[in-house]
Parts: sequence; C-alpha cells; structure tokens
Amino acid sequence: MSHPIRLVDCGSVPALRSQTVFHAVAYAMTPETPDTILLVAPGEPYVSVGFHQDVDKEVDLDRCRELGIPVIRREVGGGAVYLDGNQLFCQWIFQQGRLPAMLEDRFALYVTPLVETYRSLGVQAEYRPVNDVHVNGRKIGGTGAALIGSADVLVGSLMFDFDVDTMAQVLQVPSEKFRDKVHQGLREYMTTLRRELGTPPGRDEVVRAYVDACSAALGRAVEPGPLTAAETAMAEELDGRFASDEWLFSAGGLRKHGVKIHEDVHIREAVHKAPGGLIRATAQLRHGRIADVAFTGDFTLQPGSLVASLERELRGTPLEAAPVGACIDRFYDRYRPQSPGLEPGDWSEALIKLAASPETGP
Amino acid sequence: MAQVRGCNIPEDRYYWVEKHVWIIRDGDVATVGITDVAQNLAKKVVAVTPKKAGKAIKAGKSVATVESGKWVGPVLTPVGGEVVEVNAALAGDPELVNRDPYGEGWIVRLKPDDWDGDMANMPEGAAALTAYESFLAAEGIECGR
Repeated sequence: MSHPIRLVDCGSVPALRSQTVFHAVAYAMTPETPDTILLVAPGEPYVSVGFHQDVDKEVDLDRCRELGIPVIRREVGGGAVYLDGNQLFCQWIFQQGRLPAMLEDRFALYVTPLVETYRSLGVQAEYRPVNDVHVNGRKIGGTGAALIGSADVLVGSLMFDFDVDTMAQVLQVPSEKFRDKVHQGLREYMTTLRRELGTPPGRDEVVRAYVDACSAALGRAVEPGPLTAAETAMAEELDGRFASDEWLFSAGGLRKHGVKIHEDVHIREAVHKAPGGLIRATAQLRHGRIADVAFTGDFTLQPGSLVASLERELRGTPLEAAPVGACIDRFYDRYRPQSPGLEPGDWSEALIKLAASPETGP
Repeated sequence: MAQVRGCNIPEDRYYWVEKHVWIIRDGDVATVGITDVAQNLAKKVVAVTPKKAGKAIKAGKSVATVESGKWVGPVLTPVGGEVVEVNAALAGDPELVNRDPYGEGWIVRLKPDDWDGDMANMPEGAAALTAYESFLAAEGIECGR
C-alpha cells in the first residue's frame, strides 16, 4: 500500500465535536478518501456512552446535570466513560480491506503505536490482548472498534491524566457500596502518564512519538492534511443529531451486571433472597478470584463483628462453587455464628451469582 | 452443511460475501441474517438492534446494528424492501446470533421491492462457496481460530 495516511490533528474542539468528527470522516468516506488518523481532545469534560447502553440505567444523569457535564452517545460499543482534555483521542478511519480482517490482529496493530508511544516516553506499557494497554497490571486507556458507514474505525486514547473521582460519580450504580468499590478499583487499576511520570509530557512530544509509531506499525507514510468540506459539513450535521435526546435515548438493549475496570478486574453486585433475609454481595473480582467483598442487606449474623470476618476469610478465594463453599463451611466451623434462616449455602449462592455476565466498562 | 476455511456456509441460500450477510426467500418474504464468518469475527454478541417493522430500507442499507464485546457494526441488506418482522428473541438472547446464525439467530424479514434486480449479483449454492472461499483466503480469515 503506497498511499500515505492522512493525519488530521484537530487540536482541542468542543466535547460534541470530539465524537462527531470521526463519525463524520467515516460517514463521508468515498473510495478516494485516504485512510485517516485523527487526533483530537475535548475542550470540556463529558460522559461518552456506548452505542447500545441504556443511558439512564448506566449514567447518573442528575449528577451529570449538577456537574454541568454533557452525555454523548457514540456509535462504538462498550461502557460509559468520563472524558476530558487530559486524553488525546487517536481515531483511525480506514477504508475496508486495509486493516487485518481478524479483530484480534486489528487490535494488535492499533495498540502497537500506543504501546510504543508510552515506551518512548519512558513508561513500560504492554499490549494486553484483546484490546487493552497495561502498565504493571494497570490499564492505561481503552480501545474500541466499529464499522461506521463503509469505514473500519478504531478508537482509543493516550492518557495524560484521568479523573477517577468524577468517573466514579457519574456512573449509575446499584449502591453507594458499589460506587466505593468502583472508585477504589479505578484508583488501584488504572494509570496515566501523570501517575507513571509525575509530570505528563507535552502534547507535541506525545503526538510526534505517536505519529512516528503509527508510520512504523503500518509501514506507510503519515502526512498532515485537512478535513474536506464534505467531512466538515457531515460533522456539523452529526453535531445536531448527537446532541438530541432522541439520539441519546434511542438505543439500549445492552444488559449489564457490573463494571469492568479492566480485563482482569471487575466490580459486581449480586442479591440472594434467603428465608432469613436478603444478602447483597458487592465485590471486586480479580483474575477470577474474590479480591474483596462486602455483605449488606437485612440478614442477621451474630456476633455482628463476624460479617467483617467472613468478608476477610473470602479474600483470594476462586469464584467457583467448591472453593467458595469450602471457605464458608470453614468459617461456620470455626466461629459457630448465629444466622437464623441463613444456611452456609445462602452465602455461596449470593457469591456465585457474582460470576454472571455480561458486563460493560470503561 | 458445507465448510469453508472452518466456517459453516449452507448452500441453501444467497450471500453478500463481502458484507458477511445471508438472505433466503420464502414466497414474498426474505429473511436476512449474518453468516458464521461474521459471528466468528465479531465474537460474543451482546446486543442486536433491528430497524422497526414497517420501515422501508433501500438495498445496501442497514437493517440492524450488532454489538459484540469488541466491535459494533451494521447488518446490510442486499435487497431493498419493507421490514415485516424482526427477531424479537434477540433482545433477550443476542447470543442466538453466535449459536445459530442461520436459524434462530436470523435478524429481520423483509418484503423485497425488487428481488430479481437487487439479487442479480448475489451468489448462491456452489457459486457462493467458491466466492466465499476466495474472499476468506484473500482476507486471511478462518473460523474457530
């Protein structure tokens, strides 16, 4: 492939345009449109929601209104994420047939320049298949893929910084306990250039490194170029559509049972109704094990301090019926708790429900 | 069922090979779905949103959007017409598209405006297998990888 790739650096644009611009390049694509790498950052924060998400179930719209944060639905899948000017979005809009057909290969290609950019800046990033970038077990940015119009699209970002406090506030969650776990999970398992380097590098330095890495990964020249008049007109049209409530609330259908912090770290909540009361388990799962769990509800477990003991005992237990059952049996043998209307199996049942999927995440 | 590079391609229907869509006609209604190749590429489907019944769709346009864990894309119909039925079962069980892409995982039924005109270049039967085989070989696609 000898055609150069067009690099469109949009700089900082209004929140809405940071989403509509790559959709516009895709929808305006003609057979003559060059494969395009688009760099853009939003001038103000917003919440981006996945194409099939039920917005009012996933995002705390009242909280967003209080904070003055718009909510914008994208035509790319996945979960709700809080975005601001501290991320540089790297959007590839390619003619079909120019990227690997197998999604795993396509993501591996897309992620390579992200990884190389971080490494050139001194951050030991690694590709975590299928589509994550990790630094020492922490996720640094997310990626997604879509077919929009007749264009193959890949999106992701370079993370200068990330506001985990606001991210944890804007998600719609089943309980405040759950929100705490999401917040803690984001703090522990996400990272940024600021966190890794103390002070994030300048935008120009990062862009140079990224463009060089793209050219190397794709084996093609990358040359700056403007948007066409047709692409700009399409972006203006999409600004109208993407800002409408009709668009924001029109999708739905994605069922969700938790929040994915990254491929190996998940926050889940499950409820089991036992004769002696309701058990709600809110947990962080890591590599298929219970990293941390909290029990709430209207059950009775006496003495009361034993709830914390049970939560502690379960840490590190694989989320499977046999080890969970064995752990709870050991707990009952050791502490002989009073739990009227609750059998050891009731705790297991609440915990095993945590394994339910699917889920979404940033 | 015929196999091409590990992908199931039944010979009883027509294909729009590059778009990974199948279509089969029964009287004046045509059923559209995605192929085994498409569900293998997309992996586990988590949501399907079909266009509403009653909507007129032009040939080559989208009749549904499919989301998998890692990808979102349209389902394009090779034939234009009015959507007469959508597969309601997909709302509760989108993975039907993975488990049975040619059967219970069908996506919409259309009343074609011009079957003969729109379908002139869509292969079926043995021709479809040949066309699919060369497309998959050129793209390096194999199912079950």
